[in-house]
Amino acid sequence: MEKLRSIMLACVGFALFLGLWEIGGRILGSALLAPPSAVAVDYVDLLRQGDMLRELAGSLRQMAVGFLAACIVGMPLGVAMGRSDVADAIFRPWVSMFVVTSTAALIPLFILTIGTGFMLRVTIVFLASVWYIVLTAYNGARGVSPMQVAVARSFGAGTLQIFWKVTLPAIYPFLITGARIGLVHAIRAMVLAEMFVIIGYGGLIHRSGLLVDTGPVLGLLITLMIVSLFFNWLLGEAGRRLAPWYEQQRVTL
Amino acid sequence: MSELETRPAGTGAPDKLEIRNVTKYYHGRGNSLPVLENFSLAVKDLEFLVLLGPSGCGKSTLLRIIDGIETCDSGQVVLDGKNVTNTTGDGRGMVFQSFELFPWRKVIDNVAFGLEVTGVGKAERLDIAREYVNLVGLSAFEHSYPHELSGGMQQRVGIARALAIKPQVLLMDEPYGALDVQTRDLLQDELLSIWERQRKTVIFVTHSIEEALYLADRIVVMSPRPGRIEQIIDVPFGRPRRDALKSDPEFLALRREIWQILKKGARV
Ligand SMILES: Nc1ncnc2c1ncn2[C@@H]1O[C@H](COP(=O)(O)OP(=O)(O)OP(=O)(O)O)[C@@H](O)[C@H]1O
Ligand SMILES: [Mg+2]
Repeated sequence: MEKLRSIMLACVGFALFLGLWEIGGRILGSALLAPPSAVAVDYVDLLRQGDMLRELAGSLRQMAVGFLAACIVGMPLGVAMGRSDVADAIFRPWVSMFVVTSTAALIPLFILTIGTGFMLRVTIVFLASVWYIVLTAYNGARGVSPMQVAVARSFGAGTLQIFWKVTLPAIYPFLITGARIGLVHAIRAMVLAEMFVIIGYGGLIHRSGLLVDTGPVLGLLITLMIVSLFFNWLLGEAGRRLAPWYEQQRVTL
Repeated sequence: MSELETRPAGTGAPDKLEIRNVTKYYHGRGNSLPVLENFSLAVKDLEFLVLLGPSGCGKSTLLRIIDGIETCDSGQVVLDGKNVTNTTGDGRGMVFQSFELFPWRKVIDNVAFGLEVTGVGKAERLDIAREYVNLVGLSAFEHSYPHELSGGMQQRVGIARALAIKPQVLLMDEPYGALDVQTRDLLQDELLSIWERQRKTVIFVTHSIEEALYLADRIVVMSPRPGRIEQIIDVPFGRPRRDALKSDPEFLALRREIWQILKKGARV
């Protein structure tokens, strides 16, 4: 019941928002703010044209490379930092520095050094997401219950066994959470980098932004939002499927 | 003091486990806190020994030292004549107060954990684990996760996990401390019935006098920190024991006597 109520409230809020947007759009006109009715028409056009989905697929593929690299580097690094004081002392200053650095500010620098191609997008996506993955894994590794480690030792488990059978499973929910946060940042960074060099999906948004009609831009943004939400949900679902204890663990984070 | 005579050393069963002059300090900021000082105790083969004492007297510390997950500063833990001080896994199985099951493992895999880390093959360890899950009456929950079980069921899993490695000494640290009274009584009876079928040496920590009297062959009453043996009490009741024993006049009299001993210890 509680859930149904909150869903209904969300729907009411959403309908209200659409209504206000429609009214505002009619008053301001499509050049300033296309109303939802016009965006819907433009959206069907975008789908039929095929540019939107094609560019999206291409961009996401490159994003995936950067994001996977961030997971492959970030997860072990975060775990190592959480479990070893030496690794923590060496890497934490760097992580702290980079995580507060604006990725947008780095883009011009990287355009100069590695050009505007595939590597640029991969690098930017990597740098935008890896620190969140590191920090989440780090916190997870820090929080592994000493009691559970003691239990494993009590049954005669060695250091390696403790790592594989206790530390890693205990960190797992954090790795998933880190991946989810990282992915949101990765998609944002992808669009940002592409808007700088006007390629891919970000390039498409940039070019549409130059039109006198705001409908297509809004349509592109909506697709991007849906895609981000979908991947976020997908990772969460994967976490739940692979680890039924995940929800229960997550509540106690 | 008729029932309270302490049995002289050298009578009865041979010693299974010996704790020799164990000393343990916890080091804080600038000060060292003695928890155990020259603590010695001999545990007989197949006896049910209960450690009873006020909170903070070092019962858990002692049990963890016996188990090997805590190191002691000096002294020895000797099991079957073999020095097992500061080592884990060798002949000892531990049940923890807050259950400490692995939330990511199903019941059966929790119970199989000890066998898994000692390298028992998968089919064999699952067979053994199934047998112990059955022993504690949880066959229907083999494939459940701990969070799907009640506290009492979780502790049954904890007990099955400790028993599955067929320990020579079962260590139980206030295993029922986190449970409600009814569940606690139920689990006491279950434990006794399992123990009567599969005799083994048990060291059981509690601060409930009733629980101690109901379960134990001998009760070691400890004094507040640093933990020393205040008195060792032989429990005169035969077995099997039934719940009605708890309202037996002799039981109640003993309970009062032990209460006096604990009170006296607390004043020192
Ligand atoms: N890791 C630790 N560091 C410092 N002091 C500790 C530590 N563990 C226990 N102590 C101290 O050692 C003393 C004995 O603790 P222990 O847990 O063995 O007592 P206990 O008899 O099991 O008490 P309880 O009945 O409350 O479980 C306590 O005073 C406690 O404060
Ligand atoms: Mg204790």
